[in-house]
Amino acid sequence: MKLGTIGPWVVGLAAVAWVASSLLPAKPVRGMDVDAFGRLPVLEGGRIKPVDSVARNSLLMIRSQMSFRFEQEEGGQKRSHTVGADEWILDILFRPAVADAQPVFVINDPDVLSLIGQKLSQTNRYFAFRDIRPFLAEVQAQAAVAEPIDPKQRTRFQGAVVNLYQRVDLYLRLQNTVQVPGGKPLLEELAGATEPSARERHSLLAGAAFFRPLPPQGTQQANWHSVGEGLRDLAGGGAKDAGLTALARVGAAWTSADVPAFNRAVAELRAFGVAAKPEAVAQGDHEIVFNRVDPFYSGMVIYVAALLLVFASWLWLPELLQASAFALLLAGTVIHTGGLISRVILQGRPPVTNLYSSAVFVGWGAVVLGLILERMYRKGFGTAVAASAGFASLIVAHHLTGDGDTMEMMRAVLDSNFWLATHVTTITIGYSGTFLAGAIAIAWALRKHLAPKLLPATDKTLVSMAYGVICFALFFSFIGTVLGGIWADQSWGRFWGWDPKENGALLIVLWNAIILHARWGGYVRDRGIMTMAIFGNVITSLSWFGVNMLGVGLHSYGFMDKAFYSLSAFVGSQLLLMAVALAPRRFWLGAGRGDAGVGKATGAA
Amino acid sequence: MTETNTVRFAAHKLWDLLTSLKLTIVCLSLLMLLVVACTLAQVQLGTVAAVNLYMRSFLVWWQVPGTSWSLAIFPGGASVGLVLMVNLAAAQGQRLERSWKKAGIWIVHAGLILLFVGEFVTGVFQVETQLAIEEGQTVNYVENTRQQELAVIDVTDPAWDEVHAVPEGLLADGGVIPLPGTPVALRVRRYWENAQLSMPGPGFQPVANMGVGAGVQVQPLRTVSADDRSNVPAAVVEPVAGGRSYGFWLVSGLLGAPQQFIHEGRAYSLAMRPRRQYLPYSMTLKKFSHDVYEGTSIPKNFSSLVHLTNPGKGEARDVLIFMNQPLRYGGKAFYQASFGKNDTLSILQVVENPGWLLPYISCLLVGLGLLVHFGISLRRALRRRSAALEA
Repeated sequence: MKLGTIGPWVVGLAAVAWVASSLLPAKPVRGMDVDAFGRLPVLEGGRIKPVDSVARNSLLMIRSQMSFRFEQEEGGQKRSHTVGADEWILDILFRPAVADAQPVFVINDPDVLSLIGQKLSQTNRYFAFRDIRPFLAEVQAQAAVAEPIDPKQRTRFQGAVVNLYQRVDLYLRLQNTVQVPGGKPLLEELAGATEPSARERHSLLAGAAFFRPLPPQGTQQANWHSVGEGLRDLAGGGAKDAGLTALARVGAAWTSADVPAFNRAVAELRAFGVAAKPEAVAQGDHEIVFNRVDPFYSGMVIYVAALLLVFASWLWLPELLQASAFALLLAGTVIHTGGLISRVILQGRPPVTNLYSSAVFVGWGAVVLGLILERMYRKGFGTAVAASAGFASLIVAHHLTGDGDTMEMMRAVLDSNFWLATHVTTITIGYSGTFLAGAIAIAWALRKHLAPKLLPATDKTLVSMAYGVICFALFFSFIGTVLGGIWADQSWGRFWGWDPKENGALLIVLWNAIILHARWGGYVRDRGIMTMAIFGNVITSLSWFGVNMLGVGLHSYGFMDKAFYSLSAFVGSQLLLMAVALAPRRFWLGAGRGDAGVGKATGAA
Repeated sequence: MTETNTVRFAAHKLWDLLTSLKLTIVCLSLLMLLVVACTLAQVQLGTVAAVNLYMRSFLVWWQVPGTSWSLAIFPGGASVGLVLMVNLAAAQGQRLERSWKKAGIWIVHAGLILLFVGEFVTGVFQVETQLAIEEGQTVNYVENTRQQELAVIDVTDPAWDEVHAVPEGLLADGGVIPLPGTPVALRVRRYWENAQLSMPGPGFQPVANMGVGAGVQVQPLRTVSADDRSNVPAAVVEPVAGGRSYGFWLVSGLLGAPQQFIHEGRAYSLAMRPRRQYLPYSMTLKKFSHDVYEGTSIPKNFSSLVHLTNPGKGEARDVLIFMNQPLRYGGKAFYQASFGKNDTLSILQVVENPGWLLPYISCLLVGLGLLVHFGISLRRALRRRSAALEA
């Protein structure tokens, strides 16, 4: 077989294999099977999820990373290793002193740093709870001043101190979920549950618990219980919760590094979960796969690789590299799609439920459209545009994960799978289309300036691709907008309320309609359409994220102040690209060489 | 050029303009600008005021700072919408081919016209009110939270109240307001669109000499329009009956205590309250539920179990109103909107819009039209491609 045929297959399958390799179970820590502990189902945020998800999301919120390097002294020698989320949560639950020494709080704000007696330094931005503890009262006092202020009105310091306080609060709640730090270990707590002095600790645990590890048992108890509630039941003369005992043994074994006891206790806990809630355990296992593969992150990496291959193909080995790039794009799409399907199954909801998932879905839509375009035109542009759109939107999604669990429960009014599936999905596909048209237009503009030779046929291909995609985007954004109106009519009693998010959607519809009418009327030609398509990126990004920053209206479900600068930078870059698209012919590298059939394009917009 | 020719020429020009695609693009662009302005203005003005200023108006007015002059500076949403509608209809008749090839576009444009009509109908006819109801309570009226009325209620008969309501607008106009069916007339002495009441301070000048209002100070406030705030109007009225004055009474929604005067053995109470509309049916709240996700305070659902009684139609049945599931009854739609008083008070948003079906029809038309049009285009493109490949 020739290299040209086999090469792309190898590249694509290698990418898939790379992702699949992440499914291998994690290495035991100090000989103990932390991975099995991570699989145990718990209830947090109204949703059943594996401990691993709680650990990952908490660590992500506190440290903005899902694992970290930590150097510790054990038996007189220094040992440096990577602490994963499961190991971290075990320490936070059962070895508070160890956890308190780990550098998990990231602090970048210089004023907050000076508040906790630290200086801004290049080398260290991570601090242990131990470092923060002496200043806790001060942090709390400052946060109490800042918290009542509307997030939009807060100064940078106020925002940062509230943020630190919330992370400390999360940390403390996690630490007080199973046992009171500095108090008795859970095993002793169980033995002395009926002591009068224990009552106070039971209430503390029940009130602070960040998650509930005890599944409902039989008919007597319908809800998931926290450790505090379990202890309270026991103190009140209830039967001993077998899960509680097993959990206590896990803690004791983890503290004393008793490998067989730890593995046995975790297995016991799992068996107990299987008996009480088999579907919760199964869901936990599925979610573990999702967590490990981290499909949207791996997808992002594969898209970048695909993009680089396309660029390389324009310089060297065009046939082979272009086909390989397409194979990579395909592999990325498979992973991306798998991730989406997994989310849908785990959440029992349509793909778009919040800002994060809208970014994932916008990217997916653009990639699939790009794939189709590539099959139709086979010039490599489809691959390039799809890969960059997929990469960009997954980057955006990656930066939207900071709020913790990305599969949170839907608030009452949004609790409608039918409308989430129709309105939200359609409108998001509309966003995908508009962005893809913009991306094609950018490719067109850059090509004009960079390509050494101008081929009118390629030009025409790009323009007709953009035109088709704009039609597609108009269709979906219009239908999506109107479906949104119908949902609003069903739930609030008005079809159209001029709410900012609705207006944003309307702007996309109007802009796409203007582009198409301007073309049909012959007022703009290739250059005009392409410039207008780039401006479509501006409008879509503003209506997607910008209106959330206004903080008014029914749709302000994801307020973000940090994103303001990124959004401004994006809008600025698009305006610059519009100028590039409009720059006269004499700036083109390939002007004069090759026949530019669209030399007289009108520069409207 | 003769005069008739000139007229004909001008008419021709106007027709050309009305049917031109340029006008469409100009209108769409103006609409975009209005939508952007309306969205940004909502931060300051609140939704209702911003929409009234930019979208539900024929002209956008700008008050010259420091003067009472207002200048029209931009066409409002209503004018742009109207022009766009005329343009659409005219272009349809004039320019677009009447052929199957354009069938999709025809349907789309018909749907769009209907959408505009729907928004006009909504703008003109839609009435939004509220029905606040506590568990066990029976209510047979809806209230307009943005408008107040002065209710003069004949409470002589303990079993039957006769209500005479004077809308806020009439009070604002001032003068003497007769109450039909009674010997009483109200002379409006003072009126404030938005006012706060407080305990009298130094230099207190009473505005009323009867009832609780005599000991209360009135502080005029600027009018507000933000969504979460409303104006609280106040007035001083002088009931006059049989040639006799019953003194000056202060009325405001902020005065809780009842105020009454007696004329010829009939007792009349005065109360400022949200404007009411009485219904020929009544609702009793049997149960309000506020469900949360286990172990969180994230709301999962709100629902009101209501008993609906309509003696006129002999109807009496239970209805469950919950999120995304309103009750449509008697031309009104009742939505679960809010709640209070420790989950025993349910607030239903009540919307009456005779044009509520229009957007549904129009979106069906537009969706269908776009599908037909893109289907036709796609078929043509594919045919062209296969022809090109064969060649």
